[in-house]
Amino acid sequence: MDQHRRTFLKILGGAAGVGIASQPLFRALADPPAQASDEFFVLVHASGGWDVTVGLDPRNERRGIIEPANTSVCDTSAIRHWANQVLDDGTTTTFQTLQPPGTSLRLGPAIGNLYDYADRLSVFNGLAMNTVSHPDGTYFVSTGRHLAGGKPVAASIDTMLANEFGREQLLPSVSVGFPSTFVGPHLDARVAPLRVASVATVSRVLSRGNVNTNADDRSAVTALLTQEAQDLAARSYYRDALTGFALQFQSLPRMLAPDVQPIFNASGLALAQPSFFPTPGLRFQAGAAVNCAFAVEAMKRNLVRCVSFASGSHDTHSTNYRNQLLIQQELFDTLANLLRALDATPHPTRIGARLADHTHILVVSDFCRTPQINLTSGRDHYPNGSALVISPKFRGGTSFGSADPDQLLPQDAGTFADGTRAVGPADVLATMLTAMGVDPRRYMRDGDVVRAMLRA
Amino acid sequence: MTNTARTLVVSALVALGCNGTPAARTPAPDAQAPVSRPATDITPTPVTAIPGHESLAQDTAPKEAPRLMPAETLIRSYLTLFGGLSPIAFQTRMRTTTTGEALFDTWADYLSALGIPDYTADIPRAAQTNTLQLAAYERIAVALCERAVQNDLRGAAASAQVLFTFDLPAGRSLTDAEFATRFDVLHRRALGYPAALAPDTRVPRFLALYRSAETAHADAGVGSQRRFTGPEAGWAGVCEGLLRHPEFHLY
Repeated sequence: MDQHRRTFLKILGGAAGVGIASQPLFRALADPPAQASDEFFVLVHASGGWDVTVGLDPRNERRGIIEPANTSVCDTSAIRHWANQVLDDGTTTTFQTLQPPGTSLRLGPAIGNLYDYADRLSVFNGLAMNTVSHPDGTYFVSTGRHLAGGKPVAASIDTMLANEFGREQLLPSVSVGFPSTFVGPHLDARVAPLRVASVATVSRVLSRGNVNTNADDRSAVTALLTQEAQDLAARSYYRDALTGFALQFQSLPRMLAPDVQPIFNASGLALAQPSFFPTPGLRFQAGAAVNCAFAVEAMKRNLVRCVSFASGSHDTHSTNYRNQLLIQQELFDTLANLLRALDATPHPTRIGARLADHTHILVVSDFCRTPQINLTSGRDHYPNGSALVISPKFRGGTSFGSADPDQLLPQDAGTFADGTRAVGPADVLATMLTAMGVDPRRYMRDGDVVRAMLRA
Repeated sequence: MTNTARTLVVSALVALGCNGTPAARTPAPDAQAPVSRPATDITPTPVTAIPGHESLAQDTAPKEAPRLMPAETLIRSYLTLFGGLSPIAFQTRMRTTTTGEALFDTWADYLSALGIPDYTADIPRAAQTNTLQLAAYERIAVALCERAVQNDLRGAAASAQVLFTFDLPAGRSLTDAEFATRFDVLHRRALGYPAALAPDTRVPRFLALYRSAETAHADAGVGSQRRFTGPEAGWAGVCEGLLRHPEFHLY
């Protein structure tokens, strides 16, 4: 009898627990960030649409409508991996493709110093962009959804990741010209991306003159306001906003610390990370170098969770196509510098780990450029694309998807949940989220996981 | 009279009232006639004088959590409090300096940190604060208050005073009572209500802030790293405290 009574009480208690847990409040409490926040993210938008035929999906043969890059339309003098190869007409000179040893990748000469890190590169080729519009392609690669009525309809990847991993971070998401959006359910207001034109903008917010008063004077005011906010919160029925003020007042000295402000201006970053600022200076990607240096310094101090930025433009419709190789080479060189810096920087919260072990990099572009060279020696917009992932969660030295050999259009990459089709930007983003242990369906309508690209 | 009879009489009266001839209709007003109103003969009466309303229970409890002031409203408040300048004129005034104060940059540098929405990218209006936002509040408050101190507390005529609309005694420190009077002026201006209605700790707390700044800046002057005199630094600090106060940003 006693046994029956105990069993009955267990069942009763279990039923009550299920009932309580189904209430909205408890569901909310049971919805914490998916992972402990030791991961960092760098998201790069190679703006303008890059020419994949000289970088991630190289083409050095005349075939179908494809006209490969050649010395008559490209300035190759500064391209370190350019090795001449004569085309079938016997007079035009193109390049030799690169096949990094130990990988299945084929890369173009614009890959720059990233060639040395080929075993860490995961490349998605033949992305079905289905657009040749800059705004549409830009938001498609960052959200996995096309614009609707000119408006983004989903959260961008940086917002998704910040929402999962950066809610408690001082700066969850810093977006320097990246197509960041804050749309959809499940988003914490704290992770709204801080969209700025340059990191120097943040520097101006943190800058303080010390002529009339000084840091001690301001700290005294902050301490007073912390007490005021705490007292008001204690007297209030609705405490959240006031408690938030109190906590943020307490965090303010950390943000205004003398060692933080230099990471938001180029001169301070040049001192801290000189390898990002070569001599002679970068012609096209100086901004990307500043942003990468900022990312390293901010992650090193555990201030930021996501740094996203747009690189210098790859939009080369006419004779400026001569610079396309150099534009890409500078970007890939900067990413190689980033990897080198991440390798050399200890993780701020994991003893014995490097930043590189917990930093995940995604590089996307609006679309790619036409396989034909137009009458003004440039290339226009084309609905194909490539994406690059550098992450310890991804299999390095591999590629997935392809564009066809005659027209450079995306071709079927495998069987997805909706049938056989080419891989798309939504698949890349969904794979990125899954690699981080996040259910893509929490944020995304579309996109399948490409498990072949993930480490076991 | 029995109950039945009483019921019949009442029913008859009701029926008569319902079916009786209609009352004589008021003639339609002449559209051309001038409208005249009857003389008001209702004496205003306090509500508590009405029987049954001698004591009224009034529910003053807030029914909604405090919300963050929109950034545009905040900027308008700054402009209004400091002389009603246009944003560009205000910016020029803040940046003009001969001493390298570097108090202000441009409004554009602060907009994203203040929480202005960017509808082109669906970045919404900031509905709650973050630490960078508080840093932006501090940046602007420091600029505003230090400029106001320079403008108002260095012998300006009363008509030229913008924020600190009071004088300071020459050659001596303020008494606590004198501070409280002047603090009340600022409190009303910044937070919109008398300091006497604030929590009891507010005036003593700001007085302590004022005194500590006064002491710290006692050595101000040529050759010192501190340019503001004690009273100037004290009032600058009090002003910053009010402009960065949660009650300034929430409603």
